[in-house]
Amino acid sequence: MRNMWAVCKREFTGYFVTPVGYVVVGIFAVIVGLGFCASFLFYARVSVNPTAFAYSGVPDFEETFLSPFLVFCGMVAMFIGPLITMGLLAGERHRGTMELLLTHPLRDREIIFGKYLAALGMLLVMMATIIVHLAILGRYVDVEPAVLVFGLLTVFLMGAAFVSLGLFVSSLVGNPVTAGVLTFGLWLVMYILGTFGENLPDANPAPAGWSEGVRSAIGRGYDVFRALVEQLPLDVHAKEMAQGVATPADIAYYVLFAAFFLFLTFRALESRKWRA
Amino acid sequence: MIEVMGLTKYYGQLAAIEDVTFSVDEGEVIGFLGPNGAGKTTTMRILAGFSPASRGKAVVAGYDIGQRPLEVKRRVGYLPENVPLYREMLVSRFLDYVADVKAVPSRERRGEVGRVMERCGLEHMAKRIIGNLSKGYRQRVGLAQALIGNPPVLILDEPTVGLDPRQIVEIRQMIKDLGEDHTVLLSTHILPEVTMVCERVVIVNGGRVVAQDSLDSLAKGGETTYDVAVDAPEEQVSAVLKTEPKVVSFTSHGGGRYEVKGAPDCDLGTVLSGALAGLGLRELRAHTHTLEDVFIGVVSSEAAAGEHEKGGGA
Repeated sequence: MRNMWAVCKREFTGYFVTPVGYVVVGIFAVIVGLGFCASFLFYARVSVNPTAFAYSGVPDFEETFLSPFLVFCGMVAMFIGPLITMGLLAGERHRGTMELLLTHPLRDREIIFGKYLAALGMLLVMMATIIVHLAILGRYVDVEPAVLVFGLLTVFLMGAAFVSLGLFVSSLVGNPVTAGVLTFGLWLVMYILGTFGENLPDANPAPAGWSEGVRSAIGRGYDVFRALVEQLPLDVHAKEMAQGVATPADIAYYVLFAAFFLFLTFRALESRKWRA
Repeated sequence: MIEVMGLTKYYGQLAAIEDVTFSVDEGEVIGFLGPNGAGKTTTMRILAGFSPASRGKAVVAGYDIGQRPLEVKRRVGYLPENVPLYREMLVSRFLDYVADVKAVPSRERRGEVGRVMERCGLEHMAKRIIGNLSKGYRQRVGLAQALIGNPPVLILDEPTVGLDPRQIVEIRQMIKDLGEDHTVLLSTHILPEVTMVCERVVIVNGGRVVAQDSLDSLAKGGETTYDVAVDAPEEQVSAVLKTEPKVVSFTSHGGGRYEVKGAPDCDLGTVLSGALAGLGLRELRAHTHTLEDVFIGVVSSEAAAGEHEKGGGA
């Protein structure tokens, strides 16, 4: 336990003795700030003249402004996430310090959870900049507490899930840049897949002339594929939760996502024992 | 304290070390010698728990490295070859971290870090960034992290590489001092270093142990060689030397000078002075075996033999 905190502390302070931490938090704050201004101005325009934007009355504040803003923050956290995670294990390999890490009396779980917690710590520091915006908002508007709590939880869960993916990628490669690019690429792929989930046709894509057995097999495979494309992207489960409607399935999705990639990270770190 | 039995490590098809067997007693300082690529680092990495062996067994400080790696790591201080360090950290912070990881109790931590820094001559470098230190000081930081927690076994992989002569002397002295209350396995390819700090050596070449003995017996063992100068015609001297049973071989260097090799464990000097006395013996001088001769001897004879067996792959 104490060892895990030692690893976590070293990793976390490591962000701030190098420029990485300041750059990450700074960029995040700028993007989130700009996003906040842009969507707030848009919401203001809509509420002044709702009919021009096809709304019957002043649109709901939480639903049209706050929740989408928080989901946006989660997406930005993921966009910047690779910068936090790329060095976690790949950096140790790159600098050769893996040899220290693995010859000090540390269990694998202390290394992995220590590093994961450090990255989550960074995520919380980034989220602190969102809270600044929400505090300003709170001075002028009465925000529904459920939206705030679950909205921030959404951002945290999105980030936490994605950080575990980044940690896993970092455990696979020997160079932080490779890890960063790969993690970022995976984020983009998931994001794009998420956008065409809605456009996939419902019908079985197998040609009608094919035999029934083959058709139904293809149809079943296609259903699974479609379900994956619709359900897997990291922002799909965020939208409702950010409005304060949290279902266990949505929360479970993020927790399982993080657990799955942490599990893979364990296997990857363990592979040193059987790989040449 | 360290018991290595039939340790083998393959990298793909290539055997980095094969059937390495040796042991180190408590309190010994052992020199681990070998040319580049002999398998020194591979062996030490296995002993330190960094990479697993493909075959064989190693028991360090009473625990099997394959079965109980954590217990071994608690008792071993390891200085890796290239001294990897977190370059962005302060020296004192880094050592604090290592003390935490090695489970030094919090109230003893300051004392322990202070003790180690003093021992390695780092007191005035505590607040410096590791990346800005010179190579010699980084080496000391590497040694300091190995010493934290006062582990009974120290595994030091080429601790003096890249240091200036004065620093080399300092680090050697430090290792010598450490040898008084630690078991030290020290790899190097600088031979005088071994003569100065080690009591016993293990020589590896091509991934195999080719010799292991105390320095004294290594230097004594093997055949003895004498330089001889005789005032007599060559045929006469050759005739005498050929009939002498203790003489293994001899070569003439011209001008009455010969190099004579004798059988092991015989007093060749007495034999020669007796046999050649009547021929006008001018000079009789023993070759002293330095560690260098022994090293070159075992390493090159092994390399020649290895060519038939394996066809490369050192």
